[in-house]
Amino acid sequence: MNQEQTTGHPHIRPGRSPLVERTERATVGQTTVEDPRISCKNVAVYYDAKKAISNINLDIGRNEVIAMIGPSGCGKSTFLRCLNRMNDTIEGCTVSGQIFMDGKNIYDSDVDVVPLRAQVGMVFQKPNPFPKSIYDNIAYGARIHGLVQNRDETDELVVGSLKRAGLWGEVKDRLKMSGTSLSGGQQQRLCIARAIAVNPEVILMDEPCSSLDPIATAIIEELIDELKQDYTIVIVTHSMQQASRISHRTAYFYQGDLVEVGSTDQVFLNPLHQLTEDYITGRFE
Amino acid sequence: MNNLNKRAVPGNGRTIDIVKKGLNKRYRKERRFRVFGWAAVMISLGFLFLLFISIISNGYTAFQQTMVRLDVYLDTDVIDKDDLAGADYAKLIHEALLSVYPDVTKYNEKRKLYELVSTGAAYRLRDFVAKNRHAIGTTIQIWVPADDDVDMLIKGHIDRKTPQSRRRINDRQLAWVDHLISRGQVKKVFNMTFFTSGDSREPELAGIWGAVCGSFYTLIVTLVLSFPIGGAAAVYLEEFAPKNRWTDIIEVNINNLAAVPSIVYGLLGLAVFLNFFGLPRSVPLVGGLVLTLMTLPTIIIVGRSALKAVSPSIREAGLSIGASKVQLVAHHVLPQALPGMLTGTIIGMAQALGETAPLLMIGMVAFIVDIPAGFTDPSTVLPVQIYLWADSPERAFLEKTSAAIMVLLLFLMIMNATAVFLRRIFEKRQ
Repeated sequence: MNQEQTTGHPHIRPGRSPLVERTERATVGQTTVEDPRISCKNVAVYYDAKKAISNINLDIGRNEVIAMIGPSGCGKSTFLRCLNRMNDTIEGCTVSGQIFMDGKNIYDSDVDVVPLRAQVGMVFQKPNPFPKSIYDNIAYGARIHGLVQNRDETDELVVGSLKRAGLWGEVKDRLKMSGTSLSGGQQQRLCIARAIAVNPEVILMDEPCSSLDPIATAIIEELIDELKQDYTIVIVTHSMQQASRISHRTAYFYQGDLVEVGSTDQVFLNPLHQLTEDYITGRFE
Repeated sequence: MNNLNKRAVPGNGRTIDIVKKGLNKRYRKERRFRVFGWAAVMISLGFLFLLFISIISNGYTAFQQTMVRLDVYLDTDVIDKDDLAGADYAKLIHEALLSVYPDVTKYNEKRKLYELVSTGAAYRLRDFVAKNRHAIGTTIQIWVPADDDVDMLIKGHIDRKTPQSRRRINDRQLAWVDHLISRGQVKKVFNMTFFTSGDSREPELAGIWGAVCGSFYTLIVTLVLSFPIGGAAAVYLEEFAPKNRWTDIIEVNINNLAAVPSIVYGLLGLAVFLNFFGLPRSVPLVGGLVLTLMTLPTIIIVGRSALKAVSPSIREAGLSIGASKVQLVAHHVLPQALPGMLTGTIIGMAQALGETAPLLMIGMVAFIVDIPAGFTDPSTVLPVQIYLWADSPERAFLEKTSAAIMVLLLFLMIMNATAVFLRRIFEKRQ
């Protein structure tokens, strides 16, 4: 046991065993925060009869970057998609429990998903720009929500969003070109620019760098660092290094359970749960 | 480390040797497959080639028409300047013929002589006179269409060696025709009549234009009704309808309808549009309605698969930015699916253009001489015209049939090319 730990993750302090056994699945760590932006209570998701995640209690703070980590199929993306009700579009998917935003459960029957999604933007794993011009990609959300009234405002918004996403210098001469003609990393930044053009309060990112090379990844990570000044960011990632670089807090999911959540330093350096430690040291049973 | 030394493959020998041993067999299989594929393509190309050869060799002569030059004396006794339409132009034509052969006196012989030129010659003469009133009282030269039998003879479709009793032209007529040819009074010209007139009992006067117009009006009705209805149905079923037992039943039935024999749609049209709603028979409006019913399932099925093919990541992108369902469909899904839907529609239209059976049931098989000028004029359509001509006994209609098939195929090719062209344009735009 001791030998395993010392040869494992370099950040782990040797000689200290986690407190919680593998069989225990109740969440350990700090699930609540003061004045949360989003507060999840007993969230469970079923695909038809198959349970995807259950009993998730988690607060997401204001202007916080929270990373979701865990092995494939553990339910972290499913949880992420609960936060802007994108799971509604999947057939046979049922969500139970409550997710509070501004004191209102977003799964109440009287909640309209259109304003919700304007408030909670999303960036997907695979860059998915619209097959329209770069300009229209950015302007689209603001146009349908009526955030811009005329051409000048739209221009300003497009330029501003592209600048924030760090894409302006690369595309300023070809705004009329199709968004799909950009490279993968540029497309992903275009998608981020598209998301922030609506000026949401929360941005959900579902493995935004998984299809990008290290350079594009570094640019996006820098961008996330920038964006956390103004937005709450929930990011799902497969890269523990990425999680440790960019997030304030980290949540570890395992087989549909939220096993541990805490400050990123604590989770990576002093995991409380045996399962968390197994994962971050690369040991799987 | 033990695991690395264990062979996953049973037996001895290096993998490379085993692979090489099997290579010949593998390549033989591939070659065989390629030969089969090549043969299949060649056979179908061959049959297509045969079809074209047979149609074109039978039909190309229909684009030419034999004309006979006559010197007609526009007798003021026959033509009343105040009543040009009422004059007996046939008599003038007959006199012109008799003036060439004054020795023909017997009634039967005269009739045979008159049969050398078409009955349409009188109309040609009338049109000429109407345009050239000053010529009345003089002798004019006019080219008039020859009778279809003479036309066939000139084109070589009547064998001179056949005994007279089994030939449509008797020896006397043969001599007259040869005499006229030797005097340069017979020539072959491009057959404008075929492209400008309606149907006729006389092959030399029959044309395809009436059927083309009929097909045009019918297809317009079909297009105007089936594209919006089919497109809307596809969009609703694919994007908005709840997935439950009812929509399952509807889907199964749409698929069933696509396989229903087209004549059944004709019967439906007869029962509903003609008998129940009392719409007129033989008109493009009803033809279009029936063909709409027939093409709707195709358009809906193709439209749905085009919508289904729109990548889900675009849908997610639209929804995640806060687009409503209708905005998502209108702004992102439809523009992507439109090329596919248009292709489906044009293929459906091509099907409708070639359809005969349902139109027989609603009376579009009637013999109609006039060119239809609207949606409620009695008319026929191209494939029905082909059917009618193929049914006619005269040898001259054989070439008309093939020529009409060529025209129909040309329209089909144009439509399919349009489908390809439109798809290219829409794909480029994205």
